[in-house]
Amino acid sequence: MSEYIVEMRHVTKRFPGIVANDDVSLGIKKGEIFALLGENGAGKSTLMSILFGMYEPDEGEVYVRGKKVEHFSPNHATAMNIGMVHQHFKLVSNYTVTENIILGMEPQKRLGGFLPVVDIKNTNQKIADLSKKFRLEVEPTKKIEDLNVSMQQRVEILKMLYREAEILIFDEPTAVLTPQEIEFLLDIIREMRRNGKTIILITHKLEEIKQVADRCAILNRGKVVGICDVAETSTKKMAELMVGREVSFTQEKSPFRPGEVKLTVDHLVVKNADGFPVVNDVSFSVRGGEIFAIAGVAGNGQVEIADAVAGLTKVSSGTITLGGKEITDAAVRARNRQGLAYIPEDRQSWGLILDFTLSENLLLRRYDQEPYCVKGVLHREKFDEKSRQLIEQFDIRSGQGEKTVVRSMSGGNQQKAIVAREIDQDAPCIIFVQPTRGLDIGAIENIHRQILEERAKGKAILLVSLELDEIMSLADTIGVIYNGQLLKIAPADTMSTNEVGQYMMGVKE
Amino acid sequence: MSDIIVNGMSFSLPLFIIAVGGIYSERSGVTNLALEGFLGAGAFFGAVFTALTAGMFAATSQLPMYLSMVVAMAGGALYAVIHAVLCIKFKANQVISGVVVNILAMALTDFLTSQINAGVLGQSSDKFVLNVSTRLTFQPLASLPVIGGFFTNVYPFEFIIIAVAVVAWYAMYKTRFGMRLRACGDNPYAVDAAGCNVARIQFIAVMVSGALSGLGGMCFAYSVFGNFSTSIYTGYGYLAIAAMIFGNWKIPATLGACLLFGFARAAGYSLIQYLGLPGAYSDLIMILPYVLTLLLLMFFSKNNRAPRALGEIYDKGKR
Ligand SMILES: Nc1ncnc2c1ncn2[C@@H]1O[C@H](COP(=O)(O)OP(=O)(O)O)[C@@H](O)[C@H]1O
Ligand SMILES: [Mg+2]
Repeated sequence: MSEYIVEMRHVTKRFPGIVANDDVSLGIKKGEIFALLGENGAGKSTLMSILFGMYEPDEGEVYVRGKKVEHFSPNHATAMNIGMVHQHFKLVSNYTVTENIILGMEPQKRLGGFLPVVDIKNTNQKIADLSKKFRLEVEPTKKIEDLNVSMQQRVEILKMLYREAEILIFDEPTAVLTPQEIEFLLDIIREMRRNGKTIILITHKLEEIKQVADRCAILNRGKVVGICDVAETSTKKMAELMVGREVSFTQEKSPFRPGEVKLTVDHLVVKNADGFPVVNDVSFSVRGGEIFAIAGVAGNGQVEIADAVAGLTKVSSGTITLGGKEITDAAVRARNRQGLAYIPEDRQSWGLILDFTLSENLLLRRYDQEPYCVKGVLHREKFDEKSRQLIEQFDIRSGQGEKTVVRSMSGGNQQKAIVAREIDQDAPCIIFVQPTRGLDIGAIENIHRQILEERAKGKAILLVSLELDEIMSLADTIGVIYNGQLLKIAPADTMSTNEVGQYMMGVKE
Repeated sequence: MSDIIVNGMSFSLPLFIIAVGGIYSERSGVTNLALEGFLGAGAFFGAVFTALTAGMFAATSQLPMYLSMVVAMAGGALYAVIHAVLCIKFKANQVISGVVVNILAMALTDFLTSQINAGVLGQSSDKFVLNVSTRLTFQPLASLPVIGGFFTNVYPFEFIIIAVAVVAWYAMYKTRFGMRLRACGDNPYAVDAAGCNVARIQFIAVMVSGALSGLGGMCFAYSVFGNFSTSIYTGYGYLAIAAMIFGNWKIPATLGACLLFGFARAAGYSLIQYLGLPGAYSDLIMILPYVLTLLLLMFFSKNNRAPRALGEIYDKGKR
């Protein structure tokens, strides 16, 4: 038997128009935390889906505990004690934690000696014990729909542990978590290593790898470009391998030359469904050539401000003025015409039509204008022409170019597509909400550069972000929101990261 | 009053079991507008069976009725395969498939009924006449005031339906299969990840739906119509769907909805008789359950929650 518990030899997997994994060879040792690093679309999920049996490799072999894998299916993988937490959780929302965990292998008892019924009660206890052992703090009788994302993720972890998984795969587990939750998760992962489990951690966040991983394989466009000992390799080196070129963590920023006021928000109040003011008397204005960033802990009303400006939520009182014209109650399309572009937080439900092609999505704002539509007839070749130009300009990568169905694209490239479409409108005011959430360094760099370019062109930019680093490196003016109120508005260079952080907690003043 | 209970129950229960069929299909994630077609096709099979075997039993024997119900269930399940194949295997639009299945059932059973009558039985008719079901009265319970109606002139099939419904409830909420079935309606990808075959579960669910509808259809044939003809396609399948929605896709609540519809209808009839209105007005009463549905849905649909993945075409490769 080799020293590896999992070994992949020359694994190749193709999808229409793209080689997702290209001759990948790697070995994972028992009891280690092995990280898989790579940009969005590098093929990380695909590679681990092969190990979990969801895809069969087109070429190459997979060995688990020295034995060649013959049958690829999640059932076989589970039988080999392999478990996976997918990027999108696979949970039944109206079931309890226990019901979700036992689904597919429900323990039975006999009622009155013969009637088989699923035994939930006894299992609840078992799962509570398991949860305690790994310090997951999950309540077995809670319903999934009442749990937050971090809890749901821990349910997925419990699901693997309940199935006695020894090799646990985590597909970008931290993408959806807050910093505290990430700490918590990394602790759990360490706890599992202490219990002798082998862990594969897919991520594109270097700090996490530095924190927990023992070894790390780096994927770039489907190929393994390096396998390194984390302790001995610098973050910068890993980042370069991952992106395939030198990366700069900070962007060149041109001097701040504000123009005239483009967007004004005056005494804005937005109430939620319960009538509670989630945005409470907020006033600010954004000038041309200025990046006005709203900093704050998630859920303090920042997204509602952006939605109100974009016309997606109803304003209770106050006014919004764009380019000298009041738009408080204007329709979304009217605001658009008035010169407002919007990059929403949830790209999949608000930003894109997932089952349309890239070309169609890129022209969602213009399809009804000439030359794309003449006398009510769409001209597809013009769509495609324009799309190819945007794809080139914004470096949007996909399997089949402008003909790719957007659903099959990676998150980073979906985001680039939205940014491309919105920036291409050449609107004087652009709202970015969490523009880089879940993206890798390469894509973040790309999007930050686009934002700064728009600023240099004199656009007024409203940026809402939960990443303090992002705000500190981009903003000209920072507004800190707490409990629906802007506690502080000040030029970015007059505030330290620490100070902003304190306002975010609502502690200062 | 007693009349209202007697008629109400004999209408509500077949409606209920059809709605339970709908619940099976929809809780597994497959939209089912085809209940009408299922109940008609099932009843057709049952009726053909009684017509063809009429010579083998004594005229007063109740056995053919029970057998015809078994045949109707099998026939309904068989007919439901069309919907299952279209929706699950070929991933067709489930609404369209349901409508097509309904139209097909109506046309096909109408055609076959006359053909079988002419060709096999040698008579020209577009209906199969069924023998009369006995009705049971339980003394002394039947003499009780008000609730005595529940024990008067009861069709035997009412007990069968209650028994079947209890089994259906047990299977759906207490067994492994039921747990997986309901999970399919919420998130089929979770079921797939748990190593179960989603397509198989949904296929079975749709066939169960056909079987239960077939049973309900046969009971209607015996109680409301006394024969089988295309008059059986009078919207009861859609009424069952309304009951299911109003019952929030839950079996006990759906029973409540069905009882409400059944009693509203029966009360309407009694009212017409009491007032001595001409027969044309009874048609007006027929719409009562539907009007009730509309009103109730208007007020209660806010709290209603369809299975989350209902009607969604399950595609393993999709992310
Ligand atoms: N089911 C699929 N069908 C077609 N293309 C796919 C599919 N899954 C992934 N891809 C493509 O394969 C590439 C690798 O994807 P993925 O493994 O998800 O990357 P990562 O997880 O590293 O972000 C991407 O270009 C993606 O668009
Ligand atoms: Mg991925």
